[in-house]
Amino acid sequence: MEKAILFDPALCTACRACQVACKQWNANGAVQTTSRGSYENPSDLTPETWLKIEFREVERNGNFDWLFTRRACMHCTDAACVRVCPTGALRHHELGFVTYHKDLCSGCGYCRDFCPFDTPRSERDFLTGLAKMEKCTLCMTPGLDRVAAGYEPACVKSCPTDALKYGGRGELSAEGRKRIQALQARGYTNAYLYGEKELGGLHVMYVLGDSPEVYGLPTDPKVPPATFAWKDVLQPLGWAVGALTLVGLGLNYLVARKTKLSRERTDKKEEGNAARG
Amino acid sequence: MQQEVEKYSKSTRILHWVHAGSFAVLFLTGLVLFIPPLGTLAQDGWSRLLHRVAAVIFVVAPLIYLGMYWEKSMTAIREAFTWGKEDFGWMKAGYRYYFQCDEEAMPPQGHMNTGQKMWWLLVMVSWAGFLITGAVMWFAKTLAPPVFLQWAVFLHDLVFIGTGVMFFVHIYMSVGHPLVHPLREGAWNSMFRGKVSVHYARTHHGKWFEEIVRSQGKNS
Repeated sequence: MEKAILFDPALCTACRACQVACKQWNANGAVQTTSRGSYENPSDLTPETWLKIEFREVERNGNFDWLFTRRACMHCTDAACVRVCPTGALRHHELGFVTYHKDLCSGCGYCRDFCPFDTPRSERDFLTGLAKMEKCTLCMTPGLDRVAAGYEPACVKSCPTDALKYGGRGELSAEGRKRIQALQARGYTNAYLYGEKELGGLHVMYVLGDSPEVYGLPTDPKVPPATFAWKDVLQPLGWAVGALTLVGLGLNYLVARKTKLSRERTDKKEEGNAARG
Repeated sequence: MQQEVEKYSKSTRILHWVHAGSFAVLFLTGLVLFIPPLGTLAQDGWSRLLHRVAAVIFVVAPLIYLGMYWEKSMTAIREAFTWGKEDFGWMKAGYRYYFQCDEEAMPPQGHMNTGQKMWWLLVMVSWAGFLITGAVMWFAKTLAPPVFLQWAVFLHDLVFIGTGVMFFVHIYMSVGHPLVHPLREGAWNSMFRGKVSVHYARTHHGKWFEEIVRSQGKNS
């Protein structure tokens, strides 16, 4: 059965317990940051920060709104990162999440180039290119696997207002739809359950009171077209062309050797005839 | 002893083998990302590190050669773009020559035959293609807009497929084809020792041989 996380920004108080719990459970250290005049901190996802709450100040209908958005891997069903990962380090879990097998990571960074949500991060050595990608593992890192042990992910466990919920994806999307209807009834006409259908269904869904871009989320995210051109057309074509070339060269060898030998035989015969005659 | 003529100078041969060697490393370390079952060989990125070392050699070696031997380089580059009726003759005779081993069918070829010219052209084009797309991935990772990085990977792969496949054809044509046996004649000798027998020059690069004979006639 597919599982998911449901995030309701209206319930979020931006206490960032989830941020801290994520770091604590996954043994990611704190990073020194500088004040940028906002409570939002750190400023971006990093290899040590797999989850962060973004703060947004918006004006709607003459009212000031402080919107909080959860930023982390969205665990797409149609995940561009899984499509492009050349080593199989990124895969789908049977629960629907995108799991990460760090041992296998080659550090190529294709996942970061192709992720529609720009969530994978890595520390890259400029000269050698050596790197290891990092992203939310949904607390399923081997040895630290909360989900297999029957617990909720650390972020959900730590949430004091139930802005984060973990459960069956079907139940949570039903719950999300109900909340959207309630929002719409109260005049939030743009209210939208983000992630229910995006990219074949995300495994982190958002109960948005407004259109996605207000929350800094991409409207109608897509697997980049280059993914298909590369992985579904060019690469299979490359295998075919490579194999056909090797077969073709082999055939040429057989044909050419045969004709060459028969030519030599007739030449010899003619020489012999000439010598005799 | 049989008389010989020089086909490739020592500096050209060194460039050839350095470039070919670095390409072989690039080919294999790229292949592990291209064929999924080989993917595990790339883990921890050591193949990528090797790829970068080889890439520097692959890009820089021709530039050093260009700086040291400008005149010779220009002559060689001109050679790739100089096409005459013997090249159309090569294409027409291709099947009879390479499949039916009919050596009479081939019109006299220049210093490089048409196949060699096409490969040499492809080497120049793909050198630039690998360099541009590779530089984007090396130096602009996370800096360039993602769409550039996405298509850089695509184009790098495209050049890889074209050049990788022709790399095999090149090796086969030089040392594998029944007509080039035994190995220690012709193409192999020209790139390994630099010299080919007069007989080989006359029969396989007739137009070039004529030119040598003519210029020697003028000199003496």
